[in-house]
Amino acid sequence: MLAQILVSGVTAGAVYALVALGFVVLHRGTRVVHFGLGDQLTLSAYIVVIGQVFLGLPFAAAILLSLLLSAGFGVLIERGVMRPLRGSPLLVMIIATLAIGAAVREGLRASMGPLPWPVPFLLSPAPFTLGGLVLVPANLAVVGVALAVMLALFAMLRWTRFGRAIVAVYENPTGAAIVGISVPGVHARLWGLSSVLAAVAGILMAPLITLSPDMGTIGIKGFAAAILGGFNSLPGAIAGGFLLGIVETGAGVYVSTAMKDIVSYALLIGCVLLLPRGLFGTAEARKV
Amino acid sequence: MAARLLLLLLAAGLVAVPFVAPSHLVFLVATIGSTAIMVAGLSIVIGMAGQISIAQAAFAALGAYGTAQLAALGGVPHWIGLPAVAVATAGLGYLFGLLSLRVADHYLALATMAFGAIVQLLLIHLEDWTGGAVGLPVPPLTLGGRSLTRPIELYAVIMPCAALTVWFLHALMTSRTGRAFSALRMSEVGAAAVGVPVLHHKAMAFALSAFFGALGGGLYGLQTSYLDPAQFGILESVRLIAIAVIGGLLNPFGPVIGATVFVLLPETMGALGRYMSLVFSLLLLAFIIVSPRGIAGLAPRLRPRPGRRRGG
Repeated sequence: MLAQILVSGVTAGAVYALVALGFVVLHRGTRVVHFGLGDQLTLSAYIVVIGQVFLGLPFAAAILLSLLLSAGFGVLIERGVMRPLRGSPLLVMIIATLAIGAAVREGLRASMGPLPWPVPFLLSPAPFTLGGLVLVPANLAVVGVALAVMLALFAMLRWTRFGRAIVAVYENPTGAAIVGISVPGVHARLWGLSSVLAAVAGILMAPLITLSPDMGTIGIKGFAAAILGGFNSLPGAIAGGFLLGIVETGAGVYVSTAMKDIVSYALLIGCVLLLPRGLFGTAEARKV
Repeated sequence: MAARLLLLLLAAGLVAVPFVAPSHLVFLVATIGSTAIMVAGLSIVIGMAGQISIAQAAFAALGAYGTAQLAALGGVPHWIGLPAVAVATAGLGYLFGLLSLRVADHYLALATMAFGAIVQLLLIHLEDWTGGAVGLPVPPLTLGGRSLTRPIELYAVIMPCAALTVWFLHALMTSRTGRAFSALRMSEVGAAAVGVPVLHHKAMAFALSAFFGALGGGLYGLQTSYLDPAQFGILESVRLIAIAVIGGLLNPFGPVIGATVFVLLPETMGALGRYMSLVFSLLLLAFIIVSPRGIAGLAPRLRPRPGRRRGG
């Protein structure tokens, strides 16, 4: 039973981890928490559907199109909204990202209708049994792709100029600027990167749950995962995602399915109140 | 003087509305009233005290469901039930505010968001108490054995409440408490340094916002006469923030102005109505980009007031 919960929880956890990474990647560099990221995730899944159904693209091309457009949209948000708002009070930033999310969601609802659209699975959704565990190929594909994306992210941060500039800004924006790194340029990259992470999560998630304009509420799960992980640690976000997925699945089994979501939100509040640094975060000085 | 005259004209107009306007319009104006009361809570907590809250729809839900069930299960008339529920919700808001001392900024936004999500999920899953996902009928307001369900009758109940709310906002802004809220908004540490009890005032701001949320929610429930948990989600909380911001967060009439735009505009759009929510979101975004300071006077105002310029 416990092993089965682990296996099932890891699928949801992989998606939460990607969303959490999207939040943390952005926040570490820009200090912005993007409350519309969940809705961007929905948008990416819709772009895949639009590409396939309306443009007649093959699945792979539709996914590529979605990832490119998502990255572009992220950069556009940075250029169009966040750059003019630089230096504004945090409250203004929060309301701005909430508004971006609402605009995406309501735009989708108005243009694509409120009803769910089918999204193809990556692999067969038919379950098979292996050593007493029920496994679903489609879910395994979700975990596999998510892990591959995470590895690619860390490799990029470690070994490419693009990534090392990001790490430099994480460590010390002023120092990065002094050695000739364009900090606004890195911010634009971070918005694009975070949007792509959300896009991957959205495309992986959409077939498992129904794709509707309100799918973006999954963003709160990503928040919970990021907070569990400390909100400023990339490995923490991943651990937080998997932990949340497993705890949630366990709560669904041992308490009730209805309580599943309530448990993860309660975890979020509890963590914010009692453990604001999360499990892996480091302390930050509070500015006056 | 001119402002007084304008206020008098407005009051006269509002008294005249039910006598001259068709009943659909009376219903809409009353909806502006009940929405403005909910939004007034946000003017206090976000505008004056500078604390972000994405839970206003949850407080409205507590007011609406609490009032409806007190009447349905306990037989308590709304005249007593609604104020009692609003005060009880204020108590809950106060507790929530006490917890918020440990949390600020993004984390506060997240915690209030999670609180709102939990309330909505409980509305859906505690079926025995709330009617579940199907919803819950609201017993009508009664007076002397008569049910008050016509738009005009509810208008007569809601609009005085809305007027009192606007007056309260105005009084609060110029009061000692209101100035303490402003100090809190500008700098928590600074406020503490000049002797403002930070914790008490944060909790007070949340309590007031919960009170008006519950009051407005309860009144709105009487108008719709049916409660659907889908109406009280995070999306509704964000919509209420948008109304507060577009109306003007530090203006006692802000909630009324915002609610007027949000209630009346869709009525005039006809077939374009389904793009309305999109238009409002973009409007909010444009508003913020064009005048990030203006939306709340969130940063201390250093510019001299217009009209007091020297020279010329």
